[in-house]
Amino acid sequence: MEEQIAELTAQVAALQQGGGTTNTMFAETFYYLTIPLMILIHAGFLAYEMGASRLKNVLSSGVKNLLAFAFVIPTFYFFGWWVYWGFPTGLGLSAGPAGISGAEYANSIAWAWGDSAQYMGPNISDQISGVFFGAFALFAATTASIMSGAVIERIQTVGFVILAIVLGSFAWVVAAAWGWHADGWLVTQWGVHDFGAAGLVHAVAGFFALGVLINLGPRIGKFNADGTANHLAAHNMPMTVVGLMLIIVGFWGFLMACVVPPGEAWSWFADKPATIYGTPINLSALSFNILMAVAGGIIGAWVLTRDPFWMMSGALAGIISCASGLDIYYPALAFLVAFSAGLILKPCADVLERMGIDDAVGAVTVHGTIGLYGVVMLGVFASGYPALQGAEGEVAQISLVGQIVGAAVFFLLGFVPGYVVSFVLKMLGMLRIPEGAELVGMDRVKVPAEGYPEGIPAPAMNLDPAE
Amino acid sequence: MGFPYETADWAVVDGAMFVGWGSAMPGLYTLLAVIACAAVLIFGQRTEVTKTAAYDKR
Repeated sequence: MEEQIAELTAQVAALQQGGGTTNTMFAETFYYLTIPLMILIHAGFLAYEMGASRLKNVLSSGVKNLLAFAFVIPTFYFFGWWVYWGFPTGLGLSAGPAGISGAEYANSIAWAWGDSAQYMGPNISDQISGVFFGAFALFAATTASIMSGAVIERIQTVGFVILAIVLGSFAWVVAAAWGWHADGWLVTQWGVHDFGAAGLVHAVAGFFALGVLINLGPRIGKFNADGTANHLAAHNMPMTVVGLMLIIVGFWGFLMACVVPPGEAWSWFADKPATIYGTPINLSALSFNILMAVAGGIIGAWVLTRDPFWMMSGALAGIISCASGLDIYYPALAFLVAFSAGLILKPCADVLERMGIDDAVGAVTVHGTIGLYGVVMLGVFASGYPALQGAEGEVAQISLVGQIVGAAVFFLLGFVPGYVVSFVLKMLGMLRIPEGAELVGMDRVKVPAEGYPEGIPAPAMNLDPAE
Repeated sequence: MGFPYETADWAVVDGAMFVGWGSAMPGLYTLLAVIACAAVLIFGQRTEVTKTAAYDKR
């Protein structure tokens, strides 16, 4: 009898160990797979930005986009990851109630030297740090790519890289620490909820771009003397539209990476997935709401524009407008919010253009304006939801006031550093290329290759309406 | 809309948790979404007919 019990006990222990190993491997793979999916966001931004450029600038736009990715990844490794863990409670760098923040905690896990280096490199007993860092590094690179498209065809390469580093490895990271962390003061004190980063990624990046655009100025020929705007046509609209669709594909990885799998020592729950705030969610919620948001955004943009560029921008706007509440929206409500975002998209971009801002790809509107719109809309529809785990009265709740406060903070965290750093670069002569180089085209000046060495064939189809 | 449970605590949630659950709002949202789709199609058809008519050879 005792032998049988001992044998059964051993079998149970073996099964538990096997199950634990499988779960750990699943959790690691879960984040690992979000990384190549999010790299599709960059493939999309690359195609989008190169397609939106004129023929004379197509490759230099690509060079700039690639460098943004390449510099944000290591700088996020050097100090961005530390900022995320160090800053949640504010500039005092003190520890928060969840015990996973503050300078001391960040020093123990996020510096690439000393004892904390064990969590910043290959470590057979740590199957989460690398993939979690990887997912965040891709969020960081996404912010830089958002800004990249807005400033094409006239920005200096090194000046742009400096701006990308400030945005990708600092500005948005502070926003994430404050509003996307269980110890973040915007969450614990104001109940800010931004599950899919509409504000802390998109709005921060969009308004950072606005700050840069004010100092950078419009492309030569964009505006007439009377202030009216000219349309500087993209050299390859199909490439741009396909790029936008690739960004949508990548968003599935981005939003998947916003989910914390269950069953690990670092998980919020033993038996169900959670948001980064520790509130429950599952991937079914995301599937329902992302699909409805993409559809709503496309349809809303089609009503006013009939233009595939704005329709696919509408798809992005649809997701961004719902991103804050993808975990709790009802799918038909997500559709309506996204539809409204698609409707207001082009008019908002037109307002910006009338103000003399030359945003070549509509990044300020799609990511900035719609990002803030999404943050505030969640306050309209989801007030009263607990922002964190905990008994009623002990944790903050989502509220319209809280979401507006969050939106204002995200705006400032984007716009102020974007404006200030680009102003300094302008004073140093590192922001804009000389007029002559801009007129000739940046490819001829800076890139030892040609985008289309044999030219682009003329269309064979008859476009004459009279025949 | 408010949290769809009497106590605003995630510990009490064991099922649906979306905005409007337990009220008539999900049905209303769905109805509005259907109306939006239909209205867009009607508007789209009218405007497209107007545009394409300009190219009619007859």
